[in-house]
Amino acid sequence: MIKDFQERYAKRHELAREWKKEGKRIFGYFCGYAPEELIDAAGIIPVRILGSLDKVTLADSHLQSFICAFGRSCLDQGLKGTYDYLDGIVTSKTCDIMRNMPSIWSRNIEIPFVGYIGAPAKRTKAARECLIADFKVLQSKLEEFIGKSIDDDSINQSIETYNESRKLLKELYEIRGKDNSPLSGSDFYHVVRAGFVTPKKEYNKMLSSLKGELISSKSSRDGKVRFLVSGSTFEDVNILKMIEEVGGSIVADDLCIGSRYFWDLVEPASDPIRSLANRYQMRIACPCKHPSEERMERILEEVKKHRVEGVISIVQKYCDTHLFEYPYMRDVLQKNDIPFLYLETEDRLGEEGQFKTRVQAFIEMLR
Amino acid sequence: MSDKKPETKKRLKTSEKLGKLMADYYTESAMVKAQKKPVAWLSSVAPVEVCYTMDVFPIYPENYGTMCAARKLSAEFCAAAEAKGFSTDLCSYALNNLGSIYLNKGPFMGQGLPEPDLLIATEHACLSMAKWWEELSRHFNVPLYIVDAALPVGEDPSPHHINYFAEQLRELMGFVEEHTGNKFDMDKFKEVLGYSDEASRLFLEIGGLRKTVPSPISPIEIFTNMFPIVTLAGKKEAVEFYNELYAEISELAERKEAAVPNEKYRLLWDLFPIWYNLNLFKYIEEKGGVVVADVYATTFGGRVDISRPFEGLAERYVGNPLLSYGVQQKTELYKQMIKEYHVDGVIFHSNRSCRMASMGQYDVKQGIYEDLGIPGAIFESDFVDPRSYSDEQVKDTLDSFFEILESRG
Repeated sequence: MIKDFQERYAKRHELAREWKKEGKRIFGYFCGYAPEELIDAAGIIPVRILGSLDKVTLADSHLQSFICAFGRSCLDQGLKGTYDYLDGIVTSKTCDIMRNMPSIWSRNIEIPFVGYIGAPAKRTKAARECLIADFKVLQSKLEEFIGKSIDDDSINQSIETYNESRKLLKELYEIRGKDNSPLSGSDFYHVVRAGFVTPKKEYNKMLSSLKGELISSKSSRDGKVRFLVSGSTFEDVNILKMIEEVGGSIVADDLCIGSRYFWDLVEPASDPIRSLANRYQMRIACPCKHPSEERMERILEEVKKHRVEGVISIVQKYCDTHLFEYPYMRDVLQKNDIPFLYLETEDRLGEEGQFKTRVQAFIEMLR
Repeated sequence: MSDKKPETKKRLKTSEKLGKLMADYYTESAMVKAQKKPVAWLSSVAPVEVCYTMDVFPIYPENYGTMCAARKLSAEFCAAAEAKGFSTDLCSYALNNLGSIYLNKGPFMGQGLPEPDLLIATEHACLSMAKWWEELSRHFNVPLYIVDAALPVGEDPSPHHINYFAEQLRELMGFVEEHTGNKFDMDKFKEVLGYSDEASRLFLEIGGLRKTVPSPISPIEIFTNMFPIVTLAGKKEAVEFYNELYAEISELAERKEAAVPNEKYRLLWDLFPIWYNLNLFKYIEEKGGVVVADVYATTFGGRVDISRPFEGLAERYVGNPLLSYGVQQKTELYKQMIKEYHVDGVIFHSNRSCRMASMGQYDVKQGIYEDLGIPGAIFESDFVDPRSYSDEQVKDTLDSFFEILESRG
């Protein structure tokens, strides 16, 4: 079953080109702060633009080596034509790399539609109103693009579909956290990632049948050390696999491609745009947002709830916001007597030996 | 004092006054604690006018970073921050500042900066500022206000983005009131904005005088004369200073007196100077190149519509081209500057500490070359941290660039 999710992601470009042949429109979005529901309500399939493990070649003449591997790889894929099926890109101002990406992308890659959301970083009322206005601007741009209006009903329907996904993912998240869970952390990563590139209704069916299958199956992870994994995006699932292979078990997460993406549901408000804005403003904060205390509090709660024995932070090199929060996170965990291991990657496991030795030593220490 | 004094001390009469302004400011900063005057630490592009309106003494750790770099202290400070777990890949303005706090050292009387009572930052310049200020807030345990500039980069800001920024400026006044007890006064605010706007106008006009061939002011002079517009925007002293500087430079411009002899190639400079090596401009000048335009200094100026104080101030900050332009708009801006300032080539300083502003330089360079045939060169370094600076590499890049300029005649 996990293979289906894995395959989905592996074949994402092929599948997208098929949709394209069927006459469907497809938009790419850069991060978990883009309101996918609005794109979906416009009858456009949103897919998340992610990098790959291929060698970066073309992006080198556009981005310096001190730009993160994720950003470089995304642009590289774009320049290579991997995303030539996209009718548009939508981005939210999150980190400084995402902030600059759309203008570089659209200068070099033909793209009919660029939607940019100002996206306030704070959790205040004034920020909320600003985000609502941002979403309204995006809505009317989308309406102009598709040549018809997007009514509240279609937005509400999209919200429902997306909420269904989130609920199912949360259930799977809980299953993963159980003792003797049949769902590993690396498997779950495959599951979440497939959701970025699968139309959500179809994805929900996949999630439901996975859930059914998992409830009836059993596997043991006795004696494994229970970890919460935190961090930025990374492409290489082998990082998680390696943790599991040397005796770790991932039972909770604070990942960009993980709970931060799906945790919060859209709750009904006076109108659907407001409901969406509430959700995207108040979702578990990425370190790009302000303030950061809530994210740390949630990590502590998750540690308690899932009897986590250690936290492993996996951070993309050159990711300023994660790097800035590392000493803070370390101190918070230390104060709470939670062992902590910090790993810096460039999107991939890289020289396996080095990471492996460190994780092994960490596990030895915890046993 | 450093063994390498900026050349302004020799050439411009006004530079003596600049020295005095800086000395006064730092002398006051040393006494401000004893006077029980509230101190705020501000990030760059944070609205300093709020401080002058509310009688709060503003400190700019970034400006301080440039001085630590010039006095060759930054390497030690950055290392001290790294020892606490801050990555060497982070912004060296931040590392330098955090390190100087941990070591309680600095270029003035051997001490660090006076501790803040308040912290004010904006993530408009970059997100690192918000994160750095959050860390300061945890370290000093003092209140923090982040001015959030939500706006779409590469597109014109919508009215709601201006309103959001303006709304926060109002909130910020309340924040300062709450934590200092000082009361907001609209007349004072307007007076401060008046000075800020006038200083900006003059500063932009001084920059505009560089359109004269040969340029009447050198890049080192421009960069060192930024102090008042960054730190004293909103003070009468800044206006007085720039009035004098303007008078002096415009007289030089009229007489066609060159700031740098043998001006052969007029250059546009993108972005930060290397603060520990301003002498790089001297090297460029030896090759016949003079930096006559830059977007860095220019963007600290910006007009304010005083009739709508909060919105006017918001527009000034949100409209900063360095921060809100995408590569296409930046290319157009540079092309316009190239024409107005009679520029022969563009030098891009790709600054490892500033991913935000360095990203896109390759595309801007390419765009300028495609549209105008004006060549550009990109070199990489760090503006404050000298530890991995390679003088040879930078000079190699510049040497080849001058060969290209020469071959074009």
